[in-house]
Amino acid sequence: MRARPQQVRSDQGKPASGQWLRTMIYVLYIIVFVICLYTGRHYCFTLNRLFGFQRHPYIDIDTADWPPVTVLVAAHNEEKVIANILDALMTVKYPADKMLVIPVNDRSTDHTREIIDKFVEEFPGRIQPFHRAGGKGGKAAALKDAMELVTTEVILIFDADYIPGAGLIKQLVAPFFDIEVGGVMGRVVPMNAGTNLLTRLLDLERSGGYQVDQQARMNLRLVPQHGGTVAGVRLSALREIGGWNENSLTEDTDLTYRLLLNGWKTVYQNRSECYEEVPEVWPVRIKQIMRWAKGHNQAMVTYGLHLLVGKHRATLRERIDGSLLLGVYAMAPITLVGWGLALGVFYQGVAPLHGVIALLSLTAYAAIGNLAAFFEIAAAARLDGTRKRICLLPFLILGFGVSIFSVSRAAAVQMSDFVTGAEFHWDKTERFRKVL
Amino acid sequence: MNPYLAVAALVCTVGLMFALPLIPALVELRRKSDALPLSVVQQNAGEIRYFSDSFRAYINGLDPIMQGCVAAGTTATGALPDGEEYVVLGRVDEPLVLALQQRDTTHLVMGANVDLILPAEVRFSKDIYAGGQFIGGIKNNFRAILGEKNVHLGASSRVLRWVHAVGEFTADAGCGLDGRISSDSLIRLQTDCGFRRLNAPRIEIGSVAANPEPPLPQLHSLASSGRPPRFLHDGDFEVQAGQVIVGDILIRGKLHIRSGARICGSVKSVEDAVIADGVAVEGSLISSQKMRIGPHCAIHGPVIAERELAIARGSQCGTFEHPTTVSAPRIEIEEGVAVFGTLWAREQGQVVATQ
Repeated sequence: MRARPQQVRSDQGKPASGQWLRTMIYVLYIIVFVICLYTGRHYCFTLNRLFGFQRHPYIDIDTADWPPVTVLVAAHNEEKVIANILDALMTVKYPADKMLVIPVNDRSTDHTREIIDKFVEEFPGRIQPFHRAGGKGGKAAALKDAMELVTTEVILIFDADYIPGAGLIKQLVAPFFDIEVGGVMGRVVPMNAGTNLLTRLLDLERSGGYQVDQQARMNLRLVPQHGGTVAGVRLSALREIGGWNENSLTEDTDLTYRLLLNGWKTVYQNRSECYEEVPEVWPVRIKQIMRWAKGHNQAMVTYGLHLLVGKHRATLRERIDGSLLLGVYAMAPITLVGWGLALGVFYQGVAPLHGVIALLSLTAYAAIGNLAAFFEIAAAARLDGTRKRICLLPFLILGFGVSIFSVSRAAAVQMSDFVTGAEFHWDKTERFRKVL
Repeated sequence: MNPYLAVAALVCTVGLMFALPLIPALVELRRKSDALPLSVVQQNAGEIRYFSDSFRAYINGLDPIMQGCVAAGTTATGALPDGEEYVVLGRVDEPLVLALQQRDTTHLVMGANVDLILPAEVRFSKDIYAGGQFIGGIKNNFRAILGEKNVHLGASSRVLRWVHAVGEFTADAGCGLDGRISSDSLIRLQTDCGFRRLNAPRIEIGSVAANPEPPLPQLHSLASSGRPPRFLHDGDFEVQAGQVIVGDILIRGKLHIRSGARICGSVKSVEDAVIADGVAVEGSLISSQKMRIGPHCAIHGPVIAERELAIARGSQCGTFEHPTTVSAPRIEIEEGVAVFGTLWAREQGQVVATQ
């Protein structure tokens, strides 16, 4: 579809300006197409989740010759929460002689070390602390250093603010009986959902992301994402791909793609649920999502092209879905550009004929509302069996607004850092639980 | 019309339309009627004995009454703290049971050493606790049974929710076992039984001893031998008869393992898998589609098929020392198969006659 010259009033007699306008329209077409692609993806996932065949192949493994497992608990200044997770891990239903917990105390300056050491005394032989006093910052760097203590084939990873249930360890270990599986991801459920508007919105977002997005990817044999917590990784797979990437801001995304490119699968276990704490104030949320965006974009630049057209073991559907997944955080600045172009073209007086108006409307519809994502979250709330929380759906526009600008800002900062050569730095997510 | 008024009216109307969907949201935000965290299973871990353990705790308070009834050979009735009625039997005879069947809304509790032999075609829609042997008649219908000794179901009987037997659980031909069936020693099912979830140290389908054909290959646990190498193949693949492969094999196509082959590792096929007779797999055996395991195979680790699974006579999954899980949405299993651990058909499991 092309804009005809006579439809553009302002470019008559101004060829240079007309050229610009045409370029703007073509770029807008591309943006609209990409947005439509993501919209279709959301609908596809949601409909699959509502009506398709649901894959939970490993959840029934409740009896087995359970392998030895190491549980890494990443902790950086976690005095508010570390005792909760260590308590929970000491009561899980997994053979005690086959499970070793390694709290990875990464340069904490609060009382995290003392709390961990108290647990070590209380449960001799079951907890082996790894106190890290220096070295590069970030979770990936800390996990990389802690690997010197790991000898088991199966490794589980938790952030310190999570509280695993009694059966969770077995559920996360079970997929590793499948030799194709290199990584496992469980479902994250906010435990402080009811605190305020932000936590309630994050609760809805998490529902959509896990209950629909991740499970649909599992069902369709696409690319479920490793989340780096409530998760597991196979030691031999990790060694094969070169270990933890300490230069990555989101070691989980980085891990997902390196596993995929090397012929390992990451699987998602929707019924392996674990409570987490979500940010309770907007500045913390903004910082968190900016870090995720930077890390994701970093992975996109590193693996995007190779994933799509390179020679490796990913299937065609994994290449397509993996590429779209890599691009999710790039969509925010792209959408902002789309808005700017749509407004610019409108004020240039383009007569929106022959479907152009429809496309522009669609841009606005898909970009501002992206109702497909709302539909996805509504479906997730239904699958979770909740009723009233779905009423909060219109407020998601607020979360969307904050996200789109924060993520776009992250992209801008990232590009600026690239130009100036500034180094990434790790922003820890603040905790809100009361100290025990 | 005043143009300013018109603009104001337009702004108000648009504002109202924008605010309208937010009204239920604001109400919910204020009331917090659905603001609790999603329910996550933290403790029971989906254990098969969860219901039977809960029922045991539920009727725990009836112990003194049970002992009194057994000593006196009498019957007692009453209500549990939640108002549910119960009948405690200190002795059992057929007329009594038939009379109880008329009062089908009560839990049936039988004292220790009181054996129950049921007549044909009786129906109990409340949970039963049996302190002694429990022997059902043909075409009985039960909701749930907790047996401290052996539990036996007559032919064509049906269980709706669960059974747990501290002793052996046996079911005659044609039984329908819809819920969780567990035993602390042995489960044995006969031909045409339907099942969903079974768990016991040993599960026998039909008479395992009745098929003393070729001896099963010996298995060794992988745990003690370190991690074998991984062999990855794109496309269909065949393991030749009698071939021994040391390592894990991952096949991105159809897999056929021919007679007598031995895999010293785990096996995964992303399409259908056909395992011929006498094959031994020392690790897990997984197919993303359908899987057929031939006669007299021995599989050490978990056996998973994402669509359908058929296991032929004389095969064995797991060992007494190393129990395992066999799982698929639909399972057909022939007489003469032994499973150590869990046998779980999400949609339908069926015992079929040996072909």
